[in-house]
Amino acid sequence: MRLTILDKENWKEIGATLARNKTRTFLTGFGIFWGVAMLALLMGGATGGEDLLKRNFAGFATNSGGMVPSQTTIPFHGYQKGRSWSIDMTDVEMLRQSFPELKSVIPTFQKWGSSFKYGKNSFSGQLIGAGPDYMTMQNPKFYYGRFINEADESSERRVAVIGKKVATQLFPSVEDPTGKVIDVNGGAYSVIGVIGDASEIKLNGSLDESIVVPSSTFRRANGYGDKVDFLMMVANDKVDLSEVIPRMRRVLYRRHDIHPNDEGALWAINIAEQFEQVDTLFTGIDLLALFIGISTLLAGVIGIGNIMWVIVKERTQEIGIRRAIGAKPRDIIVQVLSEGAALTIISGMAGLCLAALILGVMQSINNPPDAVSVVRFQMSFTRAVSILAVFMILGILAGLIPSIKAMKIKPIEAINSK
Amino acid sequence: MEMIKLTDVNKTYPGAVPLHVLKGINLEIEKGELVSIMGASGSGKSTLLNILGILDNYDSGEYYLDGTLIKNLSENKAADYRNHMIGFVFQSFNLINYKNAVENVALPLFYQGVSRKKRNRIAMEQLEKMGLADRAHHLPGEMSGGQKQRVAIARAMITNPSIILADEPTGALDSKTSHDVMNIFRKLNEEEGKTIVIVTHDPGVAEQTDRLIRISDGIIV
Repeated sequence: MRLTILDKENWKEIGATLARNKTRTFLTGFGIFWGVAMLALLMGGATGGEDLLKRNFAGFATNSGGMVPSQTTIPFHGYQKGRSWSIDMTDVEMLRQSFPELKSVIPTFQKWGSSFKYGKNSFSGQLIGAGPDYMTMQNPKFYYGRFINEADESSERRVAVIGKKVATQLFPSVEDPTGKVIDVNGGAYSVIGVIGDASEIKLNGSLDESIVVPSSTFRRANGYGDKVDFLMMVANDKVDLSEVIPRMRRVLYRRHDIHPNDEGALWAINIAEQFEQVDTLFTGIDLLALFIGISTLLAGVIGIGNIMWVIVKERTQEIGIRRAIGAKPRDIIVQVLSEGAALTIISGMAGLCLAALILGVMQSINNPPDAVSVVRFQMSFTRAVSILAVFMILGILAGLIPSIKAMKIKPIEAINSK
Repeated sequence: MEMIKLTDVNKTYPGAVPLHVLKGINLEIEKGELVSIMGASGSGKSTLLNILGILDNYDSGEYYLDGTLIKNLSENKAADYRNHMIGFVFQSFNLINYKNAVENVALPLFYQGVSRKKRNRIAMEQLEKMGLADRAHHLPGEMSGGQKQRVAIARAMITNPSIILADEPTGALDSKTSHDVMNIFRKLNEEEGKTIVIVTHDPGVAEQTDRLIRISDGIIV
């Protein structure tokens, strides 16, 4: 068997044939070019879009939730409705013990409109009281220093982790403010770290504009007693929070004499549920990309098939001549298909290059140096090659039909056709 | 020794009204003969030429070409025989218009798997013999009818075939060029001993051949 594919003249011939009808070659090539580019952009774009959405969740425990007590809405056990109640540290301990499926139960305390001062500089923001387990909920960006640790918490140390924005306001000319002593609502605290928001999710207000102090210190300084402002919890992997939250509710309601059906008495949020919605959206995007992708592919392949048909029809006489002087049917079919394949490869590569260029621009736009996560407007090499291969296989199959049909014509009839 | 031997060859074109075109053709052509086949249109001479050229099949009888029985061949086998045993010359030249003279002449060798360098060298030799060396890199569109037919003859000769089959080779040429082309055929016949069969309706052409075969209504007369 002769390897027609390796014959230089065969390729020269393909080039000559393609160059002979420039308009037709260009239009077909453009169809493939556009189809491949669109498909590649779609796939790379879908990945990038997903990454952009996922960036919102970066640095945040997704299997988590929060609770804030509210006024009761149903009278119960002799209490009127509209009664205020609070979650206290006893509740926290109880929840910690009766819910081993929770990785952490984090009581937080906050005071809005707190005043922070350093020398002449001042800033008004949120003061948060939290323990080291706050870090299981969200992973802030660290600029300097550290977060509150167990020793800070147990010794009620007067230390503060300050937000990025607070730091620039209080210390406009100081690079690293750790070790400085600042005034928080009239009390002196030494700065141990500078943090910032890593996530777009702000369950507790923006960390950038807050100061975090140990919760024990916070409670002592603000005379809070046992009252928890905002309870956060992080569940272990694979634990369904939507099943855990109602049980937590029941435990709290029983202890605080609240009607079991009083949904309004406790506001609860399940981050995992929100995340699932986004996850569904990802699936939707993927399906849409797949659908449009297949349509584009189909349109491209029909285009190739159509042009193959024309190529074969137009060259019936030439095929007849070639057969009269000894071309076997296989020679002719290989020739026609090589032309289709060459056109597909060249146009397809150009399409991939365009897509790579556009995706590259998107990639650099969406990944500024301080981005918390990498957004990949990219497509794997395997995927790119697969697109090309699918186009080629389908294109060749599309060209096979007219080629085989052309072989059914007797060479002499082919020669005499005009 | 016979180059071509046809025994009771019949051919019918099927259809609503089946057309019995060849009605028992018996024909022998010796090696080294230069013969012409004449006949009115519809006499079956084109069908006969197509069968001789293995471009068409026949229903019954036997056709031996250079001692080989040509019957019920697969398309691959037929292509192989056409390539090695037969050289075609057509009325309308049938050159490939986007290939230059050398490439056209070399094409049959391409299908034999001869390397590009070698087949172009052999093609060049054939063109030189036809006196067309200076036209080697011209496209058919840039050549006259006579030159094109000489390129076609060079292409027919390149595989050193057993026979040359020419279908109205001078039909598209003026009388002077016709004469030149006929001289080439005579020369190939006399100097190289080629067996040549020319189908024509021009008595002037037929006169220049050794033997005239007349076909009428599907039988040799």
